Amino acid sequence: MDYEAVVGLEIHVELNCATKMFCDCPNRPGDEPNINVCPTCLWLPGALPRLSEQALEKAALLCLALGAELQPLCAFDQKVYYYPDLPKGYQLSQAHLPLSRGGAIDITGEDGAPRRLRIHHIHMEEDVAKLVHEMEGRTPIGLVDFNRAGTPLVEIVTEPDFRTPHEAMEFLKALRTQIRYGGASECSMENGTMRADANISIRPRGTTQMNTKVEVKNMNSVRHVGDAIAYEIERQTASVESGEPVVLHTRLWDPDKKVTSPMRAKFEGPCVPDPSVPVIRLSGEWIAEMRARLPEMPTVRAERLATEYGLAPDEALTVSADPQVADFFEALAAQEIEPRTALHWLTTQLLPAVKDTRQELSVCRVTPARLGALLKMMAAGKINANAAREVLTRMFHTDDTPEAIVAAQGFTQVSDPDALGAMVQQVLDEQPAAVADYRGGQVKALGFLVGRVMQASGGKANPKVIRELLTDRLSAAE
Amino acid sequence: MESTFAFLNPEPVFQGSPHGGADDGYLRGLRVALQPSISVRDWPAEAGSVALSGFTALEDATVVQRLRQAGAYLRGYTRMSEFGFGLGGGEAGAALAEGADIELVLDLMGESRAAAARWKVSAFKPSYSLVSRLGIVGLIPSMECCGLVAPDLGTIRKTLQTVAGPDDLDFSLLDEETPDLSARTIDPAATTVGLIREAADGLSTERQEAFHTSARYLESRGFTLKELSLPDFALFSLVHRIIGSVEASSATGRYDSVRYGPRAPGARNWNEMYLRSRDAAFGTFLKSFLLQGAFFQFNRYEAFEAACRIRAQLVTEMANLCLRAEYLLLPTPQDTPPGPTVGAPADRPASLSATYAQFDSTLFANVTGQPALYLPPTADGTRPGFQLSGAALSDGALLSLGEHLLSDANGEEW
Ligand SMILES: [Zn+2]
Repeated sequence: MDYEAVVGLEIHVELNCATKMFCDCPNRPGDEPNINVCPTCLWLPGALPRLSEQALEKAALLCLALGAELQPLCAFDQKVYYYPDLPKGYQLSQAHLPLSRGGAIDITGEDGAPRRLRIHHIHMEEDVAKLVHEMEGRTPIGLVDFNRAGTPLVEIVTEPDFRTPHEAMEFLKALRTQIRYGGASECSMENGTMRADANISIRPRGTTQMNTKVEVKNMNSVRHVGDAIAYEIERQTASVESGEPVVLHTRLWDPDKKVTSPMRAKFEGPCVPDPSVPVIRLSGEWIAEMRARLPEMPTVRAERLATEYGLAPDEALTVSADPQVADFFEALAAQEIEPRTALHWLTTQLLPAVKDTRQELSVCRVTPARLGALLKMMAAGKINANAAREVLTRMFHTDDTPEAIVAAQGFTQVSDPDALGAMVQQVLDEQPAAVADYRGGQVKALGFLVGRVMQASGGKANPKVIRELLTDRLSAAE
Repeated sequence: MESTFAFLNPEPVFQGSPHGGADDGYLRGLRVALQPSISVRDWPAEAGSVALSGFTALEDATVVQRLRQAGAYLRGYTRMSEFGFGLGGGEAGAALAEGADIELVLDLMGESRAAAARWKVSAFKPSYSLVSRLGIVGLIPSMECCGLVAPDLGTIRKTLQTVAGPDDLDFSLLDEETPDLSARTIDPAATTVGLIREAADGLSTERQEAFHTSARYLESRGFTLKELSLPDFALFSLVHRIIGSVEASSATGRYDSVRYGPRAPGARNWNEMYLRSRDAAFGTFLKSFLLQGAFFQFNRYEAFEAACRIRAQLVTEMANLCLRAEYLLLPTPQDTPPGPTVGAPADRPASLSATYAQFDSTLFANVTGQPALYLPPTADGTRPGFQLSGAALSDGALLSLGEHLLSDANGEEW
């Protein structure tokens, strides 16, 4: 029998707020353990939660960035379970009245056709403490780090609209882009600021029933989500075909072995309204204010980049996928750098270098102004492309202007025909075979000769001038 | 004789505002007794529970900060029932006989008012969201409130004026300005007091008699009495039992013996440690309440949801009654005599049902959040006792009514 998968995703996103969700402790879970704590996030007797305004704003921006509808009334509930990572015995979450409902993401399916993947709702939630397992001599010990307790999260719960691993992966990529645009989170699965769980079931293709699902956790990249879903579809199909029913449970993805294996689930009780966090009423004006804060979203921006700068549709999509990259590109273009040059240098030189040096584009030393100055020197013929690449490498390690680096390193391009004439003549004298080849009709030989002159000039010669001098002399002597 | 105080302020006499700051003098010299569910920095805020034994408050409750700021002297912690739920095993009100001018008693179902009835003093339960709960080691967050118990209403009013009002650290409080809590003149001829007929249903003949005596006394003082009806009055108790127990069940989930409280020995893993320590820490009576809450939460969630709907309805119905009469007269709490000796366990009710019966006339105010005032009868019987209430945040006016009734200026033979 032919089966199809029915997949829904539950995505946790850590909001990039300055403080935790219900207290003023810094939201820096990675700090030295248990330094960002207070009576509220340790839940000592007498403590009260105070919802952070910034957390509410960021969560609202995230919802709006995904086309979701903010609800006029939302409230926190207690998700009751007992575990050492949760000392108060319940997690504050929104089970009954979530922050938003609806929303969708449009992707392109494997067949090239557009697919709309719907979001059921988005709710706010606090993170729990982190358990660290270590050995004390031969005794295994469990340690609890409360820096993460109370970190602001949202959970995005989709409709079971996904049929293939491809759809899930495309959805996650688009989701990440849109949330980054909203400025609410970095959404890095690798760094754990975005975590996705998948609910997967299968059914005979063409039917509409909803069968028992299996939840899969622990995928820490978009690729892993795709792999885990693919594996689970195969596993469930084999299981059903061998007459074994699928039972409701949770499985963990093992990225090394590329398999899922069952895990023991935490006991979870029902959710009761929390009596300490007041219900949240969002006015129409407040929602409008949040909407006004939202920047131009990626698909809209891609269209504008294509028309305004003449980028190809796929180039425009690539640039707009990351707001930092798109902002950088537009900042270069604003300095009257030719858009294609700006795109070329940004994508082939700057971004790989930023990645290599493990920096963030937004905070790296090479600002749009500095790269713009460099590209202008190149456009004006003051330096050649080789030198520009050299200068760019150095710009990562100094705050000197590109002009200063060029001057200090002697990268200024030599374009003076008199200065280059002697070098050109010397190469012609030394390379009779290449000269003969060229005169014999092998045009390629010219490139070789240009390269020799460049080498002789220490990379500073203007290749355009060399080429002119060479063709002049080669034809004149004939 | 053992003191009614479980912990006495190590500063033996009042030395002005602590931490060198100047106080505003509003309560200067007032000796305040506190239940140990109200956090005072470095004091053993054990809330009457073994689960908190060894726990020392890290910060002052907002209420305590404001008392200090006004120059009050914190005399010490009293003995209280387990988390202040009911009066069994506690000594609520007894500190007034041991040199305290006022005692702060957590009111979860009417405890401050019942304690006052026991000690023949006055008690006031403020409106919910009028007094900060920061630093209160609570049990039923949506119903509990710091009750004020004192022999005279002047002290209660001044203390309320001191502790009430917005707190940046308690978001459940009103954002708006504190309602007017000052004294005002009461004109009986222009004042209607409503009497909820069904509030007397099921009371003993004696209590029904007392209720009607109070009504007749009000009439003799010139007030207009209006009979009102709230057929669902009995549901207050049911709603409190369901919602209160569910909230208590989750509020006590944090007592796991990890950071404080005694840890039961012999556990092989964390789960066993939780179970054993919690089993050892909670008393039988409290456990029956917590188990009931867990039952509604896990097995009868729809009953909990129904209780929440009924609660909302009751709040509306009571607010509507308060539109028809400025004040409400209710039966006084069951008059249980003080324990034989101070410090000895008082008459502990045998069951949840008996406890709920004891508070049948007071827990309405905890369910709706409206203020409630208890006034004791005079020893010679010339004036009966009262429980009065009014609309939410009418606290200032309600205290004025009490002051008017306690002053004999206009008193006539009745
Ligand atoms: Zn904190």
